[in-house]
Amino acid sequence: MLKKILFRDSKNFQFIFATAGALIGLTALLLSLQLIMDVQSFHSNEEELFGPNSVVIQKKVTKLTTIGMNSTEFSPTDIQSLKDKEFITDVAPFKSADFKVGISEVEGDGLPHFYADMFFQAIPSRFMDINVDWEWNEESEFIPIVLPRDFIMIINYGFAQSQGINQISEELLMAARLTIYIDGNGKKTQMIGRVVGFSHKISSILVPESFLTHANGIYGNGEIKNPSRIFITTKDNSYGELDDLMDEMNLDINKSAIDVAKIKTIIAVVIGIFGIASVLIMLLSLLGFVQYSQLVLSKASYEIKTLLRLGYSIKSIVNTFIKQLSITFGIITISAIAIMFIVKLFVVNTWLENNGINIEGSSLVTTIIVAILCFGLFIVSNYLNIKKTVNKLGDA
Amino acid sequence: MLLEFKNVMPFPLKDYKHDDTSVWKSEFAIEFPKKVLLNANSGKGKSTFVNTVYGLRKDYVGTVLLNGSPIDTLSIHDWIELRRTKLSAIFQDLQLFPELNVWENLTLKNQLTSHKTEAEMEAMLSLLGIGDKKYQKCGTLSLGQQQRVAIIRALLQPFELLLMDEPFSHLDEGNAKIALDLISAETDLNGGGFVLTSLGSYHGYTYDHELKL
Repeated sequence: MLKKILFRDSKNFQFIFATAGALIGLTALLLSLQLIMDVQSFHSNEEELFGPNSVVIQKKVTKLTTIGMNSTEFSPTDIQSLKDKEFITDVAPFKSADFKVGISEVEGDGLPHFYADMFFQAIPSRFMDINVDWEWNEESEFIPIVLPRDFIMIINYGFAQSQGINQISEELLMAARLTIYIDGNGKKTQMIGRVVGFSHKISSILVPESFLTHANGIYGNGEIKNPSRIFITTKDNSYGELDDLMDEMNLDINKSAIDVAKIKTIIAVVIGIFGIASVLIMLLSLLGFVQYSQLVLSKASYEIKTLLRLGYSIKSIVNTFIKQLSITFGIITISAIAIMFIVKLFVVNTWLENNGINIEGSSLVTTIIVAILCFGLFIVSNYLNIKKTVNKLGDA
Repeated sequence: MLLEFKNVMPFPLKDYKHDDTSVWKSEFAIEFPKKVLLNANSGKGKSTFVNTVYGLRKDYVGTVLLNGSPIDTLSIHDWIELRRTKLSAIFQDLQLFPELNVWENLTLKNQLTSHKTEAEMEAMLSLLGIGDKKYQKCGTLSLGQQQRVAIIRALLQPFELLLMDEPFSHLDEGNAKIALDLISAETDLNGGGFVLTSLGSYHGYTYDHELKL
């Protein structure tokens, strides 16, 4: 009966506007949050190998370099200045093999006969996110190798055709063993290697650092060379700083490697702006609802005063209001979650699929928690407002 | 319940010339249960008296005490507790809910206190001659009928003091007598007392005490 007295003709335009605003605001907020998380969950294979914010930098080769007047090596001072940059979180120079390397097939493993001179480089294994055994020691059966993805393209579409040999799939190359010929410091040896992954980001042939250190010790001539390539990890969204650094130090960078991360950032920023707008809509609708309950309270001020005179407690009156608003906002919250889910499932996911973009999709838990937090914020702010007003009416 | 007035003077009445016997600007104490008549002409502050004791008006100087405590120290929660268990009132403007029917107006109070059974409530309605109005909206009743609903509502709780502000102003003497008899009987049942304000009529009743304004 309290509800009947207190909510007398309370379903008005104000109520409809506040409800619609809250529904639109909350849906937009949840949708943008979910989309941001979905975009963040998008990984290219490259990132699985090296992590999202890693890039290889090298100095540009110029005419001066060619005639020997300019070095592409990074001096210890250069490396230190990279380490001092605030946006760079990790710096690792490439180690190079100090000996000659050649590879050929292992007979019977399915690869056509070939031989190629090569080189090895290594970066610390902390940069390798790859889910394979990247450890090497003297007892290891084979040396794990990561090849540039372009390498297999050159073999298949250039070398194989011109030499009249069969093309090789990535899977075959990874399944087959390779014979590694090592020659240096007056010693020669053969070892077994195996390709464990391919990379767009690094145009180099990578082996574990532990192997390179070991092999350099035996087959190298002991000369210490400055590195010419450096692997760096940057903080999130620091592409602007990276661009400036490239100009400043005359660097070359594999731009395509950071494109995915860059696009992700741009999308996240766009959705983020949408998200901020939806937060504003949410807050406005919250204000609308507080105003609506204020209106209901002032319409019912005679009833509230009289109930207090009859001996009804402030708590029971406030609870009647909050119960009613909880039902209203509960329906809004559940509807917003449902609409968000439907839009994501049938509009966004369908569009992505039609455009050939595969996104794993992140869990709904965070979004639902945010929705519940919004619900809580709404109830608490209305509770405080209603309690204050009822108390004031009681004192009047 | 002990009600005490110490030099109480409501701001709106301070320019009036009050008699020496007036409750304003004087000291008195009444220990209820007692049946008290507050007799005065219009504009002397009968409603002010009722509303002040009921805690609705605070625009006065002096001190009003209930059971020895100054009432201006009571919180809203204390007042609500008092109004549910010790203090009842019939207001001059009745303060019914016009959109609720007679029965809803009564149960709204009784479900808070569980003081009377439905049969007892129905008996009271019949006694006061509005038994057939049970499901009629209060807003559509005559003032006299509304007054009787307000009287019954005030009796649906335990009380030590019942404050009544001209409760019979729209009733004929016969109906007023029936109502007053009911009120008196319920007051005795509660072991409480009342203050009845009136424009001069005694309603054929003998009071324990009479106050003047």
